[in-house]
Amino acid sequence: MARPVSLVRLERVSKEYDGVSAVRELELEVADGELLVVLGPSGCGKSTVLRLVAGLEEATAGRIMIGERDVTRLSPGRRNVSMVFQSYALFPHLTAAENIGFGLVVREVRRAEVRERVARAAALVDCAHLLARRPAQLSGGERQRIALARALVREPDVFLLDEPLSNLDAELRAQTRAELKLLHARVGATMLYVTHDQIEALTLGQRIAVLRDGELQQLGTPNQIWREPANRFVGRFVGSPAMNILSSGTAVGLDTPPGAEVGIRPEHVMLGETGVEATVMLVEPIGSEALVHLRVAEAALVARAPADAPRSVGDTLRVSLSREHVHLFDAGTGERLPWS
Amino acid sequence: MARGTSWRILGAAAIVAVVALPSAFLIAGSLRQPGLPPPLTPELVPDPVVFGNYERAADLVGLGRAALNSFLVAALTAPLSVLVASWAGFALVLIRARVRTVILAASLLALMVPLTALLVPRFALFRSLGLVNTFVPLVAPALVATSPIYVLVFYVAFRRLPPELYDACRLEAASPLQIWRRVGMPLVRPVAVAIGLLAFVLSWGNFLDPLVYLHDRELFTLPLALRSLAQLDPTNYPLLLAGSVIATAPVIAVFLVAQRYFLHEHRGAGWLGR
Repeated sequence: MARPVSLVRLERVSKEYDGVSAVRELELEVADGELLVVLGPSGCGKSTVLRLVAGLEEATAGRIMIGERDVTRLSPGRRNVSMVFQSYALFPHLTAAENIGFGLVVREVRRAEVRERVARAAALVDCAHLLARRPAQLSGGERQRIALARALVREPDVFLLDEPLSNLDAELRAQTRAELKLLHARVGATMLYVTHDQIEALTLGQRIAVLRDGELQQLGTPNQIWREPANRFVGRFVGSPAMNILSSGTAVGLDTPPGAEVGIRPEHVMLGETGVEATVMLVEPIGSEALVHLRVAEAALVARAPADAPRSVGDTLRVSLSREHVHLFDAGTGERLPWS
Repeated sequence: MARGTSWRILGAAAIVAVVALPSAFLIAGSLRQPGLPPPLTPELVPDPVVFGNYERAADLVGLGRAALNSFLVAALTAPLSVLVASWAGFALVLIRARVRTVILAASLLALMVPLTALLVPRFALFRSLGLVNTFVPLVAPALVATSPIYVLVFYVAFRRLPPELYDACRLEAASPLQIWRRVGMPLVRPVAVAIGLLAFVLSWGNFLDPLVYLHDRELFTLPLALRSLAQLDPTNYPLLLAGSVIATAPVIAVFLVAQRYFLHEHRGAGWLGR
């Protein structure tokens, strides 16, 4: 049987709470089978976008389409979407199996079929051995698997994932992130994934939508977002440590247009024998590399450099920037400017 | 031993002392020889011990039948109150905030109206419906949850559940009734049992409503029967105390059975088996 077209389309969707705008005229399309990540800081409206698609919030204006269906006014249960919540939202009084099969039982699917589908979904996320346990008897990672299985069991048109990894510790997060990517490749489902973690966005997303104050800042592949940030906000938000912003290129010996700010990622700041003079203000070792905080004329700059090079506070060294890695932003609007 | 635990034990001991001592004197008093005045000093074991007061009290005013009537009314009132109050409390969680505020304010106002102020209009209503001298006026308040306080308690209990649980249910196309039955009620079970117990005890001990609505001796509930006993032989304290023990024992039994349900975590619906 052909899978239904599950392209999600938000057409000028807005959401206001008591006159305060959470999402503003958002235009967004998720292709069939795509994993699109909505990335943004806390309070940017990214979870609201997810809840609007789920139908848990009603759009103030605009239209939401899933496939050929206008779902803007449809109740959540009639949209055929599944959601994995940040808190997992597992029912504490039910076993893992009952949690996974909840939606099927509510829809009065035959018990035998429920059992079979629960077992299949559990096998997909490798949690078949946990089915008899209650959420209180499961670890964070195991709960997350059960929540994923509950989303999978109904075979929905769209999966919505609201920061599903944020409650896991760093190691488990990295592991689950990889598993999620594999799961998406295996299931081929359309997924809308919300996170504030840029590493998650860059590693998982086929495309990333960067949101700020309810407005779309940029929509593109991880590579595009990384290499060509549409504005200063995207440039600084994506990447850790954040992109250096200098008020002009003069301090670093670059000839930049008037009114243009210079953006350069720490890994592209070259320390060596050539370039302008800089003083080391602080060295932060991070394993094989170190973050070197520099003062260049009146500007502050962070460089990522190999940790084995001996550098101490107060050292003087030379800094050079390669033009191909330098981004220009309008000092007023923050929008990206072309090199001319 | 943790400091909190010792305080809890001390608190429990104080409550037990407050309840246990009068109960002990009640039972001891019921075992005294009929017709004797109350002892001048506390007496835990009377001499001689007489059990005949129980039989005599039951025979004199038909305590057995009255207990059955009380049980019938309480057994209808308690679950009905829980059902309606939980529906109402659950609905309050689901409805729009503005409507909810109005209803909550109205409930609080209703709580402030003394029940005796409604006695005459309620009597007039049931009389016009031809329902006086039946159990209907005693059970009917349960159809509107008996008291707004039950609804408010359920509302608070349902509201304390994480909102994502309701969201998850809505995404699964669960109807409000399904959410109430499959998720809401199992998770607020201790509250439901407590409200049920409270409704049972209040109905069991209700004196005023049966006095107003019931005329037929066959329909008398326990408090009315006890009143009759007091009128028949006002100075026979052992007899009166024996009647009181008969009236109190079922409530304690119900509490003992119910406590395990509200003191322990829910074990699940088990619809998928193991």
